Amino acid sequence: MTFVTDLTVDAPMLWCSGVHMSFGGVPVLRDVSIRLEPGTVTALAGENGAGKSTLMKIASGQYRPDSGRVEVRGEPLPAGRTQAAYALGVAIVPQELASIPEMMVYENLFVGREIKNRLGLLNRSAMIAIARTQLQSFGLEIDPRVRMGTLPVGVRQIVEIIKATERGARVLLLDEPTSAIARREVALLVQVVLALRDKGVAILFTTHKMEEIRAMADRVVVLRDGRLVTNSPLADITDDEIVTAMIGRKLQALFPDVLPAGSEVVLEVSGLVVAEGGDPISFTVRRGEILGLAGLVGAGRTELIECIYGVRRPLAGTITVAGRVLRPGSPRFAIESGLAIVPEDRKGAGVVLPMSVLDNATLPRIAAFTRFGLLTPRRKDAIGAVMESMRLKSNGLAQHVENLSGGNQQKVVLGRWLTGDVDALLLDEPTRGVDVGARSEIYRIITDLSASGLAVVMASSDMPEILSLSHRALVLRGFGVVAELDRQQLNDPDVQDLIFRLASGQDSPKPEDTES
Amino acid sequence: MNTTAANTESVTQRAARLTGNFLIRHAMIVVMLLIVGFFAYRSARFATPENLLTVLIAAAPFALIALGQTLVILTGGIDLSVGSIIAVSAMAAAWSAKNLGDNPLIPLSVAILVGLIAGSVNGFVVSRLNVPPFITTLGMLTLASGLAYAIGNGAPINGLPANFGAFANTKIGGLTIPVILMIASILVFAFVMKRTSYGMRVYAIGGNRLAAEIAGVRSRLVLFSVYAISGLLAGVSGLMLSSRVITGAPNLGQGYELDAIAAVVIGGASLMGGRGTIWGTAIGLLLIQTLNNGLDILLVPSYWQNVVKGVIIVAAVGVDVWASKRSR
Repeated sequence: MTFVTDLTVDAPMLWCSGVHMSFGGVPVLRDVSIRLEPGTVTALAGENGAGKSTLMKIASGQYRPDSGRVEVRGEPLPAGRTQAAYALGVAIVPQELASIPEMMVYENLFVGREIKNRLGLLNRSAMIAIARTQLQSFGLEIDPRVRMGTLPVGVRQIVEIIKATERGARVLLLDEPTSAIARREVALLVQVVLALRDKGVAILFTTHKMEEIRAMADRVVVLRDGRLVTNSPLADITDDEIVTAMIGRKLQALFPDVLPAGSEVVLEVSGLVVAEGGDPISFTVRRGEILGLAGLVGAGRTELIECIYGVRRPLAGTITVAGRVLRPGSPRFAIESGLAIVPEDRKGAGVVLPMSVLDNATLPRIAAFTRFGLLTPRRKDAIGAVMESMRLKSNGLAQHVENLSGGNQQKVVLGRWLTGDVDALLLDEPTRGVDVGARSEIYRIITDLSASGLAVVMASSDMPEILSLSHRALVLRGFGVVAELDRQQLNDPDVQDLIFRLASGQDSPKPEDTES
Repeated sequence: MNTTAANTESVTQRAARLTGNFLIRHAMIVVMLLIVGFFAYRSARFATPENLLTVLIAAAPFALIALGQTLVILTGGIDLSVGSIIAVSAMAAAWSAKNLGDNPLIPLSVAILVGLIAGSVNGFVVSRLNVPPFITTLGMLTLASGLAYAIGNGAPINGLPANFGAFANTKIGGLTIPVILMIASILVFAFVMKRTSYGMRVYAIGGNRLAAEIAGVRSRLVLFSVYAISGLLAGVSGLMLSSRVITGAPNLGQGYELDAIAAVVIGGASLMGGRGTIWGTAIGLLLIQTLNNGLDILLVPSYWQNVVKGVIIVAAVGVDVWASKRSR
């Protein structure tokens, strides 16, 4: 590709050519070139750390590339100035939304270009009326006068997209648009994206989910280790080829084999009422057994796990770990009794970002690593050994956790328990935000741990995860268990559909005879 | 472990990179050296052992409250009440010296106790009642200041026995007790924060309270303790200041909390919690004290000193923010 703009054809909407970028001497993007044509949707695929977000930030003028150039309809993009990119019609909807939760939807849509009357005062009724038409034209049936913060994330995101395009954006960059939104909202997002495409907007979105690429994109671009490895019309490429391009090798069996479970019951939950109006939940988990918890968002999986661990107080019921009844609402007691947790919100509840790997891994076992109030040097050996067995990729135990990738952070959250005895392990979305490569390693670790005699409870929205790792699975709805499926049922080809219907309440549970 | 990048560069390149990194990462030390250099160049009286001692003596009461403030700020909180706790504990100590007898240990115990009680009240309200630290300690600031005036019926307490001055004015090996106490406290706190499980828990709570609780840390206990420690240190600081002049004055320590907070922030701590070090605070403290001292020596009027200090505080942190962005 040359740096000379070809004047015989229309200039592309957005053209990045020969972009190089490095942070602190580490190359993040190497000679990446992409062009976005009007009325197309391009998927930017790649694992975490492949350089997707960096490319997005360069394309939207937030970062200045080390070399290479970015043009918008033939005009060079002045780097380092988001406002200039905006003026040229490039808008980015970031993963962490930039909406103002305390303001109403219409205020969010008009902030910075408010409609005023002749006296220079706000003309709210005009803004509300226009906002209503704009929302409706994208199939969004919401009142423009509701507070932004009360809307689900997916709807807020669509409001942000409307805001950007109504302000004249011709190039729309969506960073992981589906990472935090519910299935129903994904459908709405797809509809909005396709409508914008038909209006001639050029759209680039990052993802690592195959269904979304298939649902929205015309073209797929794959980044791996900062290099552009695939750039192909979607019709010319298979799912397998995309995955292989992303991870750089064939995806071998992602899931290890399910090993037989033991017989001794380790974790016993009885009559646990998780929230007001929920049915009492009872189940047992044996040594070496992995129990999956399936259900839709809001079904109560996270709440159940939090009640077992003691982060949340149940309304009723008892939990027993290896014969010891837990004290409700005390994580400390749970840890002493042999429970361990990998919470859903890794950054919010799992790791302490500004602390080192060593300190993060010391925290849950701090008493064992302390003599007379002083931290013992022994912790370095113990934690070093565990992190090595986890194949943690870091610059050493002193590295701050905030500088690790999602997968490696998760290994710290998991591995920190393994310097002491664990009887039961609670996992909540163990592979959320973890790239494909690290994911298979985490699966291996989970099965190894269960094989070594731990009882594992794993809540997950990732259906293949539940189906492939669990010995048994519970389906939750409305803070209660609606069905229990054994291994044989999980192998059934139609089980995914069955679980979905059970979880969404479209089907009464089939007769079960799987008491174990 | 990723060592390939380091292997491909030459030794000199590596040395240059590491020096550059060091200077950028420790921008505050560079700023400090520049300030010291400037004063030493402008006045022959500045870089002398006597003057160093003067700086240290002036620094000691600030050092104690800055150390306490560092712990509080590391948890993501703030303690605005230390200046007033200085006043109330100084007044209580002076009152006890006048009314309870001649033993210099009496005012010491009283100052420590009063500081500890005030700090514990802060700690209780913040950790158990979940009132925001800013509000809690703002209330304590007002309350303690009122009590300080009440103890002396609105007037300073004079005519104290001479050995009320023993604490601040006794020298051991050429250094006064407050200076020795300052140096010892900095060393002890640096050790505690780096090497003990208590220190780690303080960092963990400030870095991510929920994650710390899930890992079994009793966050309320730790939160309580940092405010109690901060109050206790302010009590000792109050005794230092009043003992130096052998008077209890109810306006003692007024506004000191701001200098303490400035020292912590200049030292690189984040007001969001979880980031900061004792050594950083020590540097920040010395920077402010050196500035005060140098400007005094140059006979800069106090109002202009405030202008200069204000600019330097913001500029120093600005440089630090810029440098840490660069090194990332």
